[in-house]
Amino acid sequence: MTATGGGPALPGTDAPARDDGGSGVTAAHAPRLRTVLDLAKVEASLLVRSLLVLAGLLAGGAVVWVFIHRAEPLWWEVGWKIGFGQLVLGMAVLVAAQLAAGRARRDGLADLYASFPATAAARTLAHLAGLAGAVPASLLLVGAATAVVQVRGAIGIPGVVVLAGGLLLVIAAGAAGVAIGSRFPHPLAGVLGALALLLSSGTYRLASGAAIWLVPWETSQGQLGELPGPLAGYPPAGAHAAELAGLAALAGTAALAVTVRRARARGGLAAAGIIAAAVICSAGALQLRPIPTADLNHLVSEVADPASVQRCTTASQVRYCLFPGFGGQLLSLEAPVHAVLAQLPARPDQPLTVRQVVGLSLPDPALTHGHPNREVSQWDAQVQHAPGNTIAAPAATIYLPVGAWPAAGGQLADANFDLALATAQWAVRIPPQTTGSPTSELFPCVPLDQAREAVAIWLAILATHPPASELQDGLPTGTHFFGAEVRNTFVPTWHYPGFGAGYVTPPGGGPGNTAAGFLLANAMTSLPEQQVSHVLTDAWGRWLNWRTTDAQLAAALGIRMPSVPLPPSLRPGFKPQPGMRIVNQPGPQNPVCTA
Amino acid sequence: MIPQSPNISHAEGAPRAPGQPVRRTWRPRLSWLRALPFLARPITRTMPWATLITGCLAGTVFLAVLAHAAQTSGWLLDQGTVRLAFLPPVAALAFVPRVPFRPVTQAVPVPAWVAPAGHLLLAVPVLAATCWAQLRIMMRTIPPHTLGHPPAVYPLIAQLTGWCAVTTAAAACAGRSRYADLGGAIAAPVSFAAIALAWHVPVSARLLVGPPATAHGVTIAWYAVASAALALTCVAMRDQWHRYSRNLHRLSSPDHNPS
Repeated sequence: MTATGGGPALPGTDAPARDDGGSGVTAAHAPRLRTVLDLAKVEASLLVRSLLVLAGLLAGGAVVWVFIHRAEPLWWEVGWKIGFGQLVLGMAVLVAAQLAAGRARRDGLADLYASFPATAAARTLAHLAGLAGAVPASLLLVGAATAVVQVRGAIGIPGVVVLAGGLLLVIAAGAAGVAIGSRFPHPLAGVLGALALLLSSGTYRLASGAAIWLVPWETSQGQLGELPGPLAGYPPAGAHAAELAGLAALAGTAALAVTVRRARARGGLAAAGIIAAAVICSAGALQLRPIPTADLNHLVSEVADPASVQRCTTASQVRYCLFPGFGGQLLSLEAPVHAVLAQLPARPDQPLTVRQVVGLSLPDPALTHGHPNREVSQWDAQVQHAPGNTIAAPAATIYLPVGAWPAAGGQLADANFDLALATAQWAVRIPPQTTGSPTSELFPCVPLDQAREAVAIWLAILATHPPASELQDGLPTGTHFFGAEVRNTFVPTWHYPGFGAGYVTPPGGGPGNTAAGFLLANAMTSLPEQQVSHVLTDAWGRWLNWRTTDAQLAAALGIRMPSVPLPPSLRPGFKPQPGMRIVNQPGPQNPVCTA
Repeated sequence: MIPQSPNISHAEGAPRAPGQPVRRTWRPRLSWLRALPFLARPITRTMPWATLITGCLAGTVFLAVLAHAAQTSGWLLDQGTVRLAFLPPVAALAFVPRVPFRPVTQAVPVPAWVAPAGHLLLAVPVLAATCWAQLRIMMRTIPPHTLGHPPAVYPLIAQLTGWCAVTTAAAACAGRSRYADLGGAIAAPVSFAAIALAWHVPVSARLLVGPPATAHGVTIAWYAVASAALALTCVAMRDQWHRYSRNLHRLSSPDHNPS
């Protein structure tokens, strides 16, 4: 049942005074408030049972899940993302409210409704009060999302004002629906109103700078997920909630203005509209205020020198340095690292450090608006030299970008493998020799035909046991072939699980992994673990030497070196098709890892 | 309202005597085709032009505003923006295949689906013109000497065609439900949800979204979707809707007739 259906006969609707200029019977004094409340109860009941609202609730829940299930559950970001679901629910409530408010004028039923005791103004007021029927759905969405986020190990605490803003968004959307339905009864008007709500909030670059917070619920910009903690005024939740409340009041006033005819009432509505507009303008001005310099200075110092605020813990001679509040992740990080370390015959002299870094991107007008250019340039320079943003990284430090570590599921398994692989690459001493620039293109060094690469991959596989199919998916196929240009030779490469997701940043960005190295490591996993460990332990120093080849390791293990797939154009007997031209133009070269 | 068999002549208006069997008269199956020329005007007049044009204008104005912002800010509109701007026309299309008084139109000699089918045919050029205008607006934001070729337009056209067909099918199906009076209001969100699902669910996205699908693959997939949706639309529009046969037998039997 949608909110467009008719309601039952109402008790207490006996002859209220007409104020809509209709031709019905006029009564002097009637229990108008009781009429409105009874009507509102019915409308709220219809809205609660509306299929549209139910569908909006389900769609909103799905949207929230899509936005949060991959990312690290940081409350200062998730709270705002729950609002994306409220936006979808708000669209459904807008359509349902428009259908309900337009009911009296749709299909030529105006005369029939004019004969009812309740006036048009009373009905509109009841529609507005009936929006309370959308509150349970909104609260249910907030509650379910909060439960899911908490179960996934949320970091921080929920922002009550942000969550309340989502509720106000639903109410404001419903009020807009009533206003639209009071003036335009055709159902298309509601659908267009819902689309306008979606497009105003979801269109990239419709607003920029601090103005992104002025749209009903900004969905496409912002760096909330990269921050190591909540930043006051980003987003300006309180002012935004006030803006939404003002919009709801303005829409309600507009809806009543369409139906009320008495001059005194219209005067009151005009005053209410002016107050609502003033609230909206004031809230907008508050949202456009620059973020305080002290807060930005603190943020930039956290980004540029994370060690100054981080808490470090040492476990099994590995230091884990995390921002305050992220301590709950320690166990999740320790597991893959320790699983690799447990397999090592000997560790490098320099101890390993796993450190969180912030991938903040400056200049960002939404963050730095209202501040002098000189100050913004200084912040930008500091951030560019922050750990994780330069390729000149220490060889014994693995960086962990804030917001990148997933909470659960397949992404967490991939992240575990990535951390294990980075640890193993440190353990076999593959050096950070990346060339290029982080702002343009990076060319990681390639351990071309080096036994230590296969050893590192084998250690990571042993530590985390990823599915074999996922490992094989990273190999070149007949249609997708990836590789690197090393010493003017095309080298097929292997994309490990989670490649490109940025869960961790190994020293220097990490080497490029060859397909040959993976295939040898994969063959090693088919051998008894004791046998491989024995071979590796016997000549650990030899296998770490960058001149020791894959073939030598394969021979020591008593297995054949697997054949590496070549791109079609490099296979023997390849004949180019008519019109195909092979261009032997040397591209950018990746260095060989040589230390 | 009782739907009549097409074999019963409507010219014979005289009430039949009780107990007298219905005399079936022969009429060519497609005889209603002769009435088509006379239907052109009422179909054109009952076409929801205001609804359709409002939707088309809303999307185009939105795109024009974005194009103005793009030109002043120095960024380019892409096909994704055109997709967003085509949502309002698609929403308006959901209100086109509506039969306002279906029980009445069901009883006339011309099949009930002729009017909505005619409305859909009339909507095609309007939607095509909207698509053309929106593509022109997008292209105007791209400087003439931009490096590289802009992405091909034919997959986008196939995609928008598919969206329109899916929406039409949803509207036709909603028109056969208890929500027939609000077919468009139901069909628009349903089709948007279907489009969003197709876009984000990995299984369908591999076929319908490029990349990873190739431009040719996307085009073929969306035209296949459009064909299936049109077939579903045809089936839904030819549906007889109300089925009273069992109840009518009961009502006409002497046991249920007190007189």
